[in-house]
Amino acid sequence: MKKINVLGLITFFVLILVNLPFLVIVPSSFTAAGYLAFPPEGFSLQWYSMILERPEFIESLWTSLKLAAITAILATFLGTLAAFALSKYKFRGSGVINALMLSPLTVPSLIIGISALLFFTRIGIAGTFTGLLLAHILISIPYVVRLVLTGLSTFDYTLEKAGYMLGAHPLRVFWDITLPLLRPAIVSGMIFSFLTSFDNVTVSLFLVAPDTTTLPLAIFTYMQETLDPLVASISAVVILLSLVFIVLLEKVYGLERLFGLNSQSH
Amino acid sequence: MSKVIDVELRGIIKKFQNNVVVQDFNLQVEQGEFIAFLGPSGCGKTTTLNMIAGFLDPDGGDLLIKGQRMNGVPPYKRELGMVFQTYSLFPHMTVAENIAYGLKLRKVGKQEMQERVKRVLELVKLPNVADRYPKQLSGGQRQRIAIARALVIEPSLLLLDEPLSNLDAKLREELRDELKRLHQEIGVTTIFVTHDQEEALALSDRIVVLNHGFVEQIGTPLEIYNQPASEFVHTFIGKTNRMEGEVIAIDADGIKVRTTGGLLIQAAKQAREFSLQQKVIVFVRPEKIKLSDTGVHTGANQVEGHLQLASFLGSYTECEVVAGKHTLSVKVQMSDKSAEREAGTTVYCNWDAEDVLIMPAERG
Amino acid sequence: MNKRLSITLLTAPAMIVLLGVFILPMLLMLMLSFQDDNQAFTLKNYALFIQDSFYLEILWRTIRVSLWTVLATLLLGFPVAMYMAQASGKMRGIVTMFILAPHLISVVIRNFGWVVVLGEKGWINETLMKLGLIEQPLRLLYNELGVVIGLTDSFIAYMVLALATSMYAIDPSLSKAASILGASRARTFFTVTLPLTLPGIIAGTTLVFSLSMSAFVTPALMGGTSVKVMPVIAYEQIMATLNWPLGAALAFLLLGSTILLVTLYTKLIETKRYKEVFAS
Repeated sequence: MKKINVLGLITFFVLILVNLPFLVIVPSSFTAAGYLAFPPEGFSLQWYSMILERPEFIESLWTSLKLAAITAILATFLGTLAAFALSKYKFRGSGVINALMLSPLTVPSLIIGISALLFFTRIGIAGTFTGLLLAHILISIPYVVRLVLTGLSTFDYTLEKAGYMLGAHPLRVFWDITLPLLRPAIVSGMIFSFLTSFDNVTVSLFLVAPDTTTLPLAIFTYMQETLDPLVASISAVVILLSLVFIVLLEKVYGLERLFGLNSQSH
Repeated sequence: MSKVIDVELRGIIKKFQNNVVVQDFNLQVEQGEFIAFLGPSGCGKTTTLNMIAGFLDPDGGDLLIKGQRMNGVPPYKRELGMVFQTYSLFPHMTVAENIAYGLKLRKVGKQEMQERVKRVLELVKLPNVADRYPKQLSGGQRQRIAIARALVIEPSLLLLDEPLSNLDAKLREELRDELKRLHQEIGVTTIFVTHDQEEALALSDRIVVLNHGFVEQIGTPLEIYNQPASEFVHTFIGKTNRMEGEVIAIDADGIKVRTTGGLLIQAAKQAREFSLQQKVIVFVRPEKIKLSDTGVHTGANQVEGHLQLASFLGSYTECEVVAGKHTLSVKVQMSDKSAEREAGTTVYCNWDAEDVLIMPAERG
Repeated sequence: MNKRLSITLLTAPAMIVLLGVFILPMLLMLMLSFQDDNQAFTLKNYALFIQDSFYLEILWRTIRVSLWTVLATLLLGFPVAMYMAQASGKMRGIVTMFILAPHLISVVIRNFGWVVVLGEKGWINETLMKLGLIEQPLRLLYNELGVVIGLTDSFIAYMVLALATSMYAIDPSLSKAASILGASRARTFFTVTLPLTLPGIIAGTTLVFSLSMSAFVTPALMGGTSVKVMPVIAYEQIMATLNWPLGAALAFLLLGSTILLVTLYTKLIETKRYKEVFAS
C-alpha cells in the first residue's frame, strides 16, 4: 500500500529497547531454576515465595510506601501553596522564589544527597526517617510547583471574579471553583511526587540507616552482591506497583501533558 | 417626585502607580437606567466598572450604591450581577448548577431554587439546556446563561463587561436585541462597558464617553451623536470627514468657513460661539452627503469632484470623492442609483448646513 | 499588608524546606570542601585533582561516557521525535506513553533488566552462543559499553521530549514550501527541519550530558568496579573512606566541569544568527 515507514520502524525498535528491561524481568521472575536466566527455565512461583522469607525486602517495601505517601501529601501541600502565591500575586522577588522552588531539579541528586548527609549529621537527623522524608519532599517540590503553575497558567481568574460577584466569600470561591478546576494538576503532582520518592536511589543512598532502607536501595545493595531470580521477582512487584500509579497518572492528567508535550491547545 | 438614584460616582479617581487611569468621574445612574461606558481600550471604562464591582478600590472620591457608600466593601457583599466578556461559566458545573450557585450561597430553598432557575432559563429563551455543561453550548448560548446566572439573584445593579465582544457579528446583533428586550422586561439598572459605538447607541438610555481616563461627555445617544462635546466624541462615534479651515463670515443664518483646501462651506448656527478668522475644524458625516450628477443645488453646500473609489458593501456603497485638495468619504444608500457610478466620473456632493459641525481648532 | 501576608504564608513552608534541606546544606558542603582535617582553610582537596592524574582520568572517563550517551540518545531519539511530529494524535499518544512510562519506574530495576540481557550468561550471549556465532561470551557489561547502554536507556526520554517539543513548533507547511521550491526530501531535512530543530538539539544534548555526568546508579550497577566515574568516586570518599571534604570537593568539581563544558558548548552553537532566529 505504501512504502515502509523507516521512521516508524526505528521508533518501534527504540520503544522495544526502552521497555526491554521489563519484558525480560517479568518472565525471568517465574523461573524454576536456581539461577538467573532468560528465557526462563520452567515455571514456578518459588522466587515470589522467597520474598516473604526476606524480611528486609518486606520492611523496606513498607518504608518506601510510607515514605512515598507522606512525601506525596506534604510536597503537594507545600508546593501547591507556593504555586498559588507565585501565580496569583505579582511581587518583587517572585522570580527568585520561582527559580528557587525549581532549583533542586537543576542540581545533581548526588550533591543533594551529600549535602543533606553533611547537614543532617550536624543537626542529628542523619539516618532517621525524618531526614529521609525531608530530602524526598525537597526533590518532589519542584515537580508539584511546576505542575500546579502550569495548571494555574491556563486557569481563568475571571471565574473567581464571577464567584465573588455571585456572593461567594474568597474561601468559598477557592473551595467551590478554584480547587475543583485545578484538581488534575494537583492530583498528578501528588502521584508524581509519590513516584519520585518511591523510585529514588541516589539521594536515599546517603540518608538511610540500615534499619530504614528503602526498597530500591535494598535491591541496589542486594544486586551488587548477588544476582539471582529473587531480584527479578521483587522487581516485578515494584513494576506492578509503579504501573498502577502510571496508569492512574495517565488517566488523571495524561503523560503527554505531564511532560509538557501537549501540542493541542486547551 | 424625585427620581431614585441607584449608583452614584462622586469624583472617583484611580491611579496605577503614577498613571491616573480614571480622573474625577462624576455620574448619577437612575433606577432602571441603561448606561453605557464607551471608549477605546485604556480609556478607564473597565477600571471604573471594576471599581463599581468591588475588584478595585478608588484612590479618591466616593462610590454609592443605593445610597450606601461602597468604598472598601468586597465584591461578594455588594449584591450585584456581572456578565464577563469571556462568559466565565464554571466549567465543572452544569448550566443549572451555574445558575443556582448564587442562590445556594443565599440559602434559597431547594424548591424555590429549581423554580427560579427554570424561570430565568425561560427568560433567556433556553429552557432545555439545564443539564448540559458549558462546553456543550455555543458562544451565544453561553453568554445567555451567564446573563441568566447574573439575573437570577435579582441584583440591584447589572454590570456588563463587553459581553458581546467575543461573539461573531451576526450573533452579536442578535444578542444585542436580546439584551434590550431583557432590560425592557426586567428594568434592572444596567451599566454596560463597550468599545463599540453602535452597541452603545442601540442599547443605552445614556452614554458616558471616556478617553484617557477623562469623561468626555455624558448624554443620550442623540445628544452624543448630534451635539458632540469634543472632536474625540464626534470621531469616535462614527466615520466622518474632517477639514481644517477659517471662519470668514458669521450671520443670523449661520457660519461660513473657507477650508484650507479651498472649499466654501455653509454651516447652520452652532452651539458654540465663534469669531471671525478663527481657525476651526469642519466635520460632515459621510451618510449626510448626497451625490448627484448635475450641479443642481439640493442642499446649502455643493462641491464638485471626481469619484475615485467606490466599494460596494451590501446595503450601501462607500465612495471616495476627490474635491480640490480634500478627499471626501460618502455613504451612498443602495436605493440611490448613483451607487452604480463608475470611478472617474464627475459627481457633485451635496449636504445641508444643519449637517455641518464646527469645532475650534485648538481646545480650551 | 494583606497581600504581603498572603504571599508570606503561602510560600514560607516550601521556602523553609528549600533553605533548610537544600541551600544551607549546600553552603555547608561548599565550606567543608575547603577544609582540612583540622578544619582550617585549604585548597588541597581541589589541588589534588590537578596534581593526581588519577582523578583527571576519572573525569575524562566520565566525560567520554557522557558524550557517547549523548550521541546514542541523539541518533536514536531523532527519528523517534520525527516520527512523533508526523504521526496522528493517537499514534503520538501511544509512542509518548511507551517512551515515558519506563521513565517512571526505578532506574535500579531497569538496570537490572539490562544485566539480565547483557550479562555473560545473559540473553544475547546465550543466543549468540547457541547459534554458534561466537565461542566466548561477549563482554557487554561491566565496561564502558554497558554503562553507555544503561545511560542511553535512562535518558533517551529526555532527548525525545526536547526534540519533539521543538519539532512540534515547526510549521508543517515549511517543508511543503521547500519541496514546491524544488528541494528533495533529504535537502529539505538538512536545510529546513534540522536547523529549526536546533533549539531542541541543544536542550536535549545539554540535558542528557549533564544527567550522564552526575549519574551514579547506572555506572555502579552496569560498570561494576572497572568503570569508576566521578559520582562513584565521590560516593566512595563520602561513605567508605569517610573523607568528607574530598568527597564534597569532587562533587563540586564534577558540577563545575559540567557547567563549564555546557556553557562552552552552547556559546559555540548559539551564534548571533541563532539568537536572532530563535529569540523568544
